[in-house]
Amino acid sequence: MLSALILIPLVGSAVVGFYPDSKGKISRNLAFFCAIAVLLINLYIGWNFDTENTGFQFAEYIPWVEWLGLDYNLGIDGLSFPLVCLNSLLTLIAIFVTDKNISRPRFYYSMLLLLSAGAVGAFLAKDLLLFFLFYELEIIPLYFLIAIWGGKRRGYAAMKFLLYTAFSGILVLASFLGLAWLSGANSFAYETLKLHDLSLTSQLLLLAPLIVGVFIKIPIFPFHTWLPDAHVEAPTPISVLLAGVLLKLGTYALLRFGLGLYLHAWVEVAPWMAILAGISALYGASCAIAQKDMKKVVAYSSIAHMAYILLGASATTRLSVTACVFQMVSHGLISALLFLLVGVVYKKTGTRDVDSLRGLLNPEKGLPVTGGLMILGVMASSGLPGMVGFISEFLIFRGAFPIFPIPTLLCLVGTGLTAVYFLLVINKVFFGRLTDNLDSLPSVKWVEHVPAFALLFLIIAFGLQPNWVIDLSEVQAIALLTGG
Amino acid sequence: MTATFKTNKVQLTQDYIERLEAGQALLNDTPQNLVEVIGVLKSYGIVLDAYSVNLCYIANTQFLKLFPFFKYFNGDINPKSFVKNVWHDRINYEYAEYCMKSMFWHGSAGMDAYLDSDEFTDIVEEVVSAKFKFNPLMLGLHKVFKDFLPEHMRQMSYYSGLGQFWRVMSDMFLTLSDRYDQGEIKDIPDVVQHILDGLVADAAKPITYSVKVGQKTYDIIPESKGITFLMDTGVPYVEAIFFRGTPFPGTISYNAQAYQIPYDQGMFSYGALYADPLPIGSAGIPPTLLMQDMRHFIPDYLMDIYRQDNRGEGDLRIKICQSFQKSMFCVTTAAVKGLAPHALDTTDPEEKAANHKYLKAWLKRLFASQMVKVNG
Repeated sequence: MLSALILIPLVGSAVVGFYPDSKGKISRNLAFFCAIAVLLINLYIGWNFDTENTGFQFAEYIPWVEWLGLDYNLGIDGLSFPLVCLNSLLTLIAIFVTDKNISRPRFYYSMLLLLSAGAVGAFLAKDLLLFFLFYELEIIPLYFLIAIWGGKRRGYAAMKFLLYTAFSGILVLASFLGLAWLSGANSFAYETLKLHDLSLTSQLLLLAPLIVGVFIKIPIFPFHTWLPDAHVEAPTPISVLLAGVLLKLGTYALLRFGLGLYLHAWVEVAPWMAILAGISALYGASCAIAQKDMKKVVAYSSIAHMAYILLGASATTRLSVTACVFQMVSHGLISALLFLLVGVVYKKTGTRDVDSLRGLLNPEKGLPVTGGLMILGVMASSGLPGMVGFISEFLIFRGAFPIFPIPTLLCLVGTGLTAVYFLLVINKVFFGRLTDNLDSLPSVKWVEHVPAFALLFLIIAFGLQPNWVIDLSEVQAIALLTGG
Repeated sequence: MTATFKTNKVQLTQDYIERLEAGQALLNDTPQNLVEVIGVLKSYGIVLDAYSVNLCYIANTQFLKLFPFFKYFNGDINPKSFVKNVWHDRINYEYAEYCMKSMFWHGSAGMDAYLDSDEFTDIVEEVVSAKFKFNPLMLGLHKVFKDFLPEHMRQMSYYSGLGQFWRVMSDMFLTLSDRYDQGEIKDIPDVVQHILDGLVADAAKPITYSVKVGQKTYDIIPESKGITFLMDTGVPYVEAIFFRGTPFPGTISYNAQAYQIPYDQGMFSYGALYADPLPIGSAGIPPTLLMQDMRHFIPDYLMDIYRQDNRGEGDLRIKICQSFQKSMFCVTTAAVKGLAPHALDTTDPEEKAANHKYLKAWLKRLFASQMVKVNG
């Protein structure tokens, strides 16, 4: 069953890539079909998921390269299942919002499906090397998606992304290889390696490259510089996936392998990580305030919000770790919504420059529905009660405050600043009189807003009923903290 | 820069004076403008008819009612019309009241002189005594706050005055549309002439206001007072609604202390000719109500033109407002022509000079309006 989640987009990618279709309609439909099939399988898994089970479920095992200790070893648990669902949903949305007249459609949809397969493979891998393979695999399609369909500086942004994330991969691999070597294990199976009895020093030595590697991926200040460029240059559907899913690979690795494999060392470095989380949150928020490009604001906002996950993970309390998973889902939904809406604004106005846009809430000639959704998205991102952002941030701060009060307060200031930078954008772009050069904007069709409404529905639904996600991840959080 | 601007303005003034003297209008005479003006005035005529009926209904039957809950029902109070009102399936009569209040606030020289006279106060006292004969509470309150009810009746007088004015204008605009359909109206000067003829024909029409309490009728504004259609309602209406108006919330700062709003009402320039159509549809913009009403009665030929535009019916209210503004420049042209000291095509140098002085005063105010922008 889990293999289908990887194979459907993988095979779909190959079929789309090689099937002759110059107009791209068949490619799009095929990609759409694959995404829907994966989403339905997710629903099936969700229906049969045992929330009380602390181990991996739906496990699949096929021996692969035995001399290397690499096996095709898959499983899903409360930590990975929400992210797999998020990936499936956002892949579907990314395909939906892609321009029907996009150039080189076969290659585009092929890369999109490959990206999705890579991400879901990484979330499902129970083998560390297999995780690394998928972790690296998603870099390739993402590089092409930015380099070919990106903005003016796409070459620079794609190369920067490639270099940073490839380096991130090397560090993660170094940690995995070191763990297998020092523990004397003949396999990279997660469950086997988890039983190691390495000294604290060894654990610290192995945790350090892993942490730096995933800090690049998340990204955490000062390893973040690739992200704003990648977001600004990436087309809207790719920004949605990048913020919604791919950054989560970093936080997932942090929890799964950092916390899961090196718990003793983790506790030692946690205070420093918490401080870095506080700095990263403030840095991201401060940079967001200074931005003039709407997409950059959302990108820097991502840096700030991802830092909360680091804070929660550092605190290692049951509540904070559970909240980390919730924050991943929350940020995935909210950032995807915001990037979608910025994409709509850009598509209709031709600019994302905050100083050039004004009065887009004009009910007759502006983009009132887009503006309304944007305000709701900003409310969610700012952590207003009733929406998913409030629950995740509140739980993280509540869980982390008794352990790291000062870093938590810094992050609280960061979340306060979210309202500042987003309201500055909202005020400038959507309120006031519509500027004269924008008075003949094309209207936005309702169908263009369907993905945004779907995301908003989930943002509110999980905000009102957070247990739907928390029930999935709480048991797993306890397992991570107890080494179970 | 300032010198160039002044030169341009002088040239522009001269151009507009010449076009008015040549029988043209403030609005450019183009086929597109003609269709827009006729079409929008047709729908305006229908809406004005409803406004007029309601204003007169309120003036005649809702006077001295402190809580006129059913003032928009026009006497048709039954469960069906109640549901319609609750559902807001009706004309936005609030806009008519907004215009009335604007007119009331800016005033009308002739009417105000009478409404401030002792004669008016005396007749109001009679009406109040008759109306509240068996209501000692109201009579007591009237004794304590003796200006309140007379002021209410002054407002009712404006309800009635505007209602009567719009009655004439409604018929005039609907006749204009009929004449266009019959091929009699061919260009913008024809439109102006039609309006001018209508204004002149009814210029001396008396504006009166009577109310009935029990079996007795009280003449609040008797015919003998000489309040007339053109000078006491038409001209004040143009001044209050077309020129002065009131600033809308959200479109202009209300920081009156910083003189962002003129301290003199006469310097107000927030009227229909100055209004920015872009905020139409936003909260707190009263003309939205008018555009909302008019959209139901736009003739097909104009609707087809609107649909061809970028957003089709998506920004219909702004398009109607833009056309409406054009039509108001035609009405203003008619008013300017009608009030001119001499015929604008006169060849007498003295008359011409007097006309120039008169027109320059108008144009000075109009240059701050949307006129130049509308004419591209």
